[in-house]
Amino acid sequence: MRSPAVRVLTYLAIAIIGCGIALFAQPFWVQLFIGIMISAIMALAWDILSRTGQVSLGSAAFFGVGTYSVALLAEVLGTALAWASVVVVCGVLAVLLGLLTLRLRKMYFAIATMGLTLSMQVAVLVFSDWTGGSGGVIPPLLMGGDPVHQLLAITALLVIAAMVSDFFLSRRMRPALFLVRTNPALAAASGIPVVRLRIIAFTISGILAGIAGACYGGLYGYVVPTDVFNLNWSVLPLATVILGGMDTTLGPLLGALVIRALEETARTVIGGVGYQVVYGAVIILFVVLMPTGIVGLFNRILNFARQRS
Amino acid sequence: MFDTAIIAQTLLLSLTVAGLYASVASGLTLEFGVTRIINFAHGEFVMLGAFITYFLDTLYGVPPVIGMLVAGIAMAALSQLVFWAFLARVLRQDEHNQILATLGLSILILNLAVIWWSPDSRALHGPSLLPSLHLGGVTIPGNNLLVLLVGVILYIALISFISFTRYGVQLRLASDDPELAVLSGVNVNRMFGVSFVIGGFTAGIAGGLVALVLYVQPSVGLDLVVRAFAIVALAGLGSIPGAMIGAVLLSIAEGLTSTFVSHGASWSYGVAFLVIVLVLLVRPTGLFGKEMRA
Repeated sequence: MRSPAVRVLTYLAIAIIGCGIALFAQPFWVQLFIGIMISAIMALAWDILSRTGQVSLGSAAFFGVGTYSVALLAEVLGTALAWASVVVVCGVLAVLLGLLTLRLRKMYFAIATMGLTLSMQVAVLVFSDWTGGSGGVIPPLLMGGDPVHQLLAITALLVIAAMVSDFFLSRRMRPALFLVRTNPALAAASGIPVVRLRIIAFTISGILAGIAGACYGGLYGYVVPTDVFNLNWSVLPLATVILGGMDTTLGPLLGALVIRALEETARTVIGGVGYQVVYGAVIILFVVLMPTGIVGLFNRILNFARQRS
Repeated sequence: MFDTAIIAQTLLLSLTVAGLYASVASGLTLEFGVTRIINFAHGEFVMLGAFITYFLDTLYGVPPVIGMLVAGIAMAALSQLVFWAFLARVLRQDEHNQILATLGLSILILNLAVIWWSPDSRALHGPSLLPSLHLGGVTIPGNNLLVLLVGVILYIALISFISFTRYGVQLRLASDDPELAVLSGVNVNRMFGVSFVIGGFTAGIAGGLVALVLYVQPSVGLDLVVRAFAIVALAGLGSIPGAMIGAVLLSIAEGLTSTFVSHGASWSYGVAFLVIVLVLLVRPTGLFGKEMRA
C-alpha cells in the first residue's frame, strides 16, 4: 500500500483537487476546501504525534500560538519573518512541553495537553497588554486576502504536510514508532531513542498545527482568542483521524473531507450552535464499531476481494 | 491590602468551594481507580445534574436539596446505561480508544445540551437554604455553607462505603488486582459498572451544588472537570482522601489568586493548569498516588 507510486499519486491528487477547485469552482467551494485542507493539516499533525502512542488534546494550543505569533510578530519583524517565526515559536514551545510531558502515561498526557489548551486562552486574557486580550488581534492577510490564492497556498502546505507524514511512515521510521507506541521498554532496549522520537514527533506535530493556525488567522485578518484557543480545534483533528483511519496519510485526508461535509450538513440542519454534535457522534460510533476508520474498511474490503479471487 | 479579615474571608469561602470541587473530583477518581478509565464525560454528567436541579426548581417548584438527590439518581442510572451500552466495550481496548470514547461522549452530551438549552447562562434565584454565618468580620452565604456540608457528607459516605460495605471491599479488590478478584469470585465487570453508578451519583449531586452556588449552562461541566483533573493529578489518580485534600489546596490557591493577584479573577482554570505543571515537574504520580501499572 505504501509504494512510492501511491504516495506520489496522493500528492498529485491533493494538488489537482486544490488547483482545480481554486481555478474553476464557485466561491462557496473554494471556502469549503480551504476549511477542509486546514482540517487535514491539523489531522495529519495530530496523527503524527499519535503514532508515538500519545493522545494529545493540545492541537488548539499550537493552532492558536501559530495565529498569534504571526499576528503579534508581523508588526515587529515584517510579514515574511513573522511567518517563519511560527516554526520557531511552535517548535520551541513543543520541545519545552515535550520535555515536561512526554514521559507521562497516556491519560496524564491527554489531561495535561487539555489543560494547556484551556490555559492559553487564560494567558491571552491575563497578558492582555501584549496580546490584545479578548479584543483579538489582526494578523496580516494571507495572499492579500484573495481566497483563490489562499487555497493554492494552503494546498501547497497540505502537500508538504502529507510528505512529512509519509516520512514518519517510511520503512525506517514506522517499525520504530510502532515499538515506541506498543512497548516503549522494548523499544528502548532495542536501541530506539524513545524520548527523542517522541519529542521530535511532538515538535513536528506542533509546528504543523501552528502553520495551520497561521493560515487560519490569515484568512480574514481578524481573530479573537476564542476563535483559535478553543477546545474544538483539539477535538476536530481527533475526530477526523478516527473517522479516516489512524496511522496513515490517506486517512486524515479522507477524514477531513467527510467530517467537513458532515459538519456543513449539520450546520444547515441544526444551525449555528451545537452542530459539533457530529464530532461526538463520529468519535463514539467509530471507536466502538469501526476503530480502523475508512481506510481500514477499504483495506478489509480489498483483502476480502483478494481472498475471493 | 493584606487585611486579616479579607484573608479569612477568602480562605473560608475557598473552603466551601472545595466542597464542590471535591464532590466532582471524588467521583472521577473513584471511576478511574477501579476501571483505569478517565471519564472525560464526568463534567457533562455534573452539567446535566445542574440542569435537572434547575429545571425541577423553576418548573415544578421542587426544592434544590431534593432536586439534587433526583439528579444524583438520574445520573447514576444514565451512567449505568452508558457503561453497559458502550464503555464496557472499550474496557479491554487500547488506552487510546478509552480516552477517545469518553471524550466523544462528552462532546456529544455537551452539544446536545447546547442545542436543547442554548449556551446561555441561568441561575437559581431562590432564597438561601441555610442562614448565612457571621464569624467576626467574615460572612459566609448560606448556600456556600450548604455546599460545604453536602461535600463533607458525600465524602464521609463514599469513604464508609468503600471501607465498610461488602461492595466496597469487592471494589477495592477489583481495583487493586482484577485477576485475584476474579479468582475470589468477584464479578469484576459488575464492579466496574458499580464504580460508574457511584461516580454518576456523585456527579449528579455535584450538579445540584453547581445550581446552588454557580451558574447553570452547558459549559459549566468543562470548567469543573478541568479543575477536577488538576485535583486528581495533584492528589494522584484513584485516591479519594487525596481528592479531598487536593480540592482544598486548589480552591485555596484559586481564592488567593483571585483576591490578591491583579486580574486574578480572569485566571480561572489557569491556576489549575499551573498546579498540573508543578505536580508534573515535582512528582508525576501525584502526592498520594499509587505507582501506575503499565
